[in-house]
Amino acid sequence: MKKTILLLMAALIGGTLSLSAQARRALKINEVMVENTTNFVDDFGQRHGWIELFNSAHAPLEISSVYLTDDPANPTKYPVPLGDVNTKVPKRQHILFWADGNPSHGTFHLNFTLKAGQDNWIGLYEADGQTLIDSITVPAALTANQTFARRADGEGTGVEAWEIRNDEGDKYVTPSSNNIIRDTNNKVDMFRVNDEHGFAMAVMAMAIVFSALLVLALCFLGISKLGARRMRESKAKAHGIDTDVEAAPEHDSGEEIAAIGMALYQHLNAHDQESTILTINKVKRAYSPWSSKIYGLRELPRR
Amino acid sequence: MSFGEFLLSNLTEFWHLTGFYNATWQHFVMLAVGLFFIWLAIKKNFEPMLLVPIGFGMLIGNIPFNTEAGLEIGIYEQGSVLNILYNGVSAGWYPPLIFLGIGAMTDFSALIANPKLMLIGAAAQFGIFGAYIVALALGFAPDQAGAIAIIGGADGPTAIFLSSKLAPNLMGAIAVSAYSYMALVPVIQPPIMRLFTTKKERLIKMRPARAVAQSEKIIFPIVGMILTCFVVPSGIPLLGMLFFGNLLRECGVTTRLAKTASNALTDIVTILLGMTVGASTQASEFLTTQTIFIFFLGFMAFIIASSSGVLFVKLFNLVLPKDKKINPLIGNAGVSAVPMSARISNNLGLEYDPSNYLLMHAMGPNVAGVIGSAVAAGVLLGFLA
Repeated sequence: MKKTILLLMAALIGGTLSLSAQARRALKINEVMVENTTNFVDDFGQRHGWIELFNSAHAPLEISSVYLTDDPANPTKYPVPLGDVNTKVPKRQHILFWADGNPSHGTFHLNFTLKAGQDNWIGLYEADGQTLIDSITVPAALTANQTFARRADGEGTGVEAWEIRNDEGDKYVTPSSNNIIRDTNNKVDMFRVNDEHGFAMAVMAMAIVFSALLVLALCFLGISKLGARRMRESKAKAHGIDTDVEAAPEHDSGEEIAAIGMALYQHLNAHDQESTILTINKVKRAYSPWSSKIYGLRELPRR
Repeated sequence: MSFGEFLLSNLTEFWHLTGFYNATWQHFVMLAVGLFFIWLAIKKNFEPMLLVPIGFGMLIGNIPFNTEAGLEIGIYEQGSVLNILYNGVSAGWYPPLIFLGIGAMTDFSALIANPKLMLIGAAAQFGIFGAYIVALALGFAPDQAGAIAIIGGADGPTAIFLSSKLAPNLMGAIAVSAYSYMALVPVIQPPIMRLFTTKKERLIKMRPARAVAQSEKIIFPIVGMILTCFVVPSGIPLLGMLFFGNLLRECGVTTRLAKTASNALTDIVTILLGMTVGASTQASEFLTTQTIFIFFLGFMAFIIASSSGVLFVKLFNLVLPKDKKINPLIGNAGVSAVPMSARISNNLGLEYDPSNYLLMHAMGPNVAGVIGSAVAAGVLLGFLA
């Protein structure tokens, strides 16, 4: 019993840890500004470089105790503090850290700064201080008020997924906001434009529905053949028939079974002689008006 | 302020809170619709388990009150009791629970014994996509068209689940339309079945299904869930729960859980689902031209679904050997109104040949229709959400 409880507990803890680790992998470095002279202002009215993280999961993510660092040799440089409700990032949302080297200003103020005019490596480490969740090297070419941002929030791997943004054209600088501003559902728009009459949807969807049920049907044709064969064999075995010599019938008709059943029933339960003994027992019920429900309740109406 | 003035001002304020003061003609129309649903259920016995909660929900949801008073009583007011109960509809967790119950009360033996009947369940889903095409032609956006078209699946929980994701603003009308047409299946389907079949076809006698081993019944929900969900992962909430419920029923060691899922749980969720869906049909949302279109499209979807099921069987018979022909009267059962559409197949079959019992044969496509409509919902969700 103890062993079972221990095993269950170990499985539970293991499951929880792996779930948490799996979820943390959804955290991505999303946009970085190294030098800030005219851009976003922090709660103290000051401008600093900033690092935006994005929760790419479709569930809220608690990020306390992960590490942010600018030094690969020191992966645990800035631990995100425990006990701040704001470290829970809602699904598909962002959180911003100020690279001002002033952690006394609060949870979201890092203990390092980003250096203009040089490459800045930024790493995001798991709570164990060893597992790298995400990293990016921000190029030295980035000038003041420009950001190095993912083309789409939380998507892509490698430097190809990133671009320099200068707040011109559609290259918005978007601190604590989506890198791509979507005001419509892309999928719906695509169908609206390319499948105006719905024929493509009808063909595709019916093909998928048919193939799903066809696969299931084929699978069960196989299983039912095996099942039928097994049933025949076990029936033959029960009757002592050698299946190799005499093939059993393909199936038993329901009508045949019913006829056999009725014949057996008649044979075994023919009621030609009844006992003709009638027993009447007196039924005694202790009655008390205190326990009677007839005054307070009535039967539910039935039609 | 004198005592008289105090009394008068409070009574005036109270008068402004009453239903009489806040009533509009739309409220009375909706109350009449609710009463009509209750009448249909009690007097005509049309799907009473659904229409009584929906009808009474309509009465509850359309009692006029001052929405600006902040009393937290309306279904759309955050924090109100009705709003909390409505969360199961808006967040879409009632339908999977209903599917758990459906799985726990459905015997898939007819389908396992004759797996080719699954294709009829697939063919009937054309009603959904036929209605999708018509909905687009009427000017609905693709996501709204998908949500409306699912009415053709003849499956209330699926319709609610999908519309809560694709077009929450149309959900009340879609749900009421789906359940209304499900109640009207005995009226809608027989003329279609007669129209597309010859007398000779209606007399086809199908071979009795073979007995199904318990092990096959246990394998079915496991393999069924894995295969269908691998093809359409977006159908996991519905298909997963449907097959899970069926495994509880068939495995033989969870009888208590299966009983709870198929009785108490389903009843509780049906009460809450029906009542909150009814209450969500508030006049301002419901009495629009869109609702009329939705009812029209739902009717179209039902007709297309029933017709395509029957016509598919006729087509299928062309390639089947003579002794394995399928009676096209079971084609209508491809829509997933379980078990009513199967019962209609049986009744119509008996009408033409009193010894031709089609019920168990029709149950095959009928339960395949449940799987098919859940897969179709998953496809629409995957494409449009």
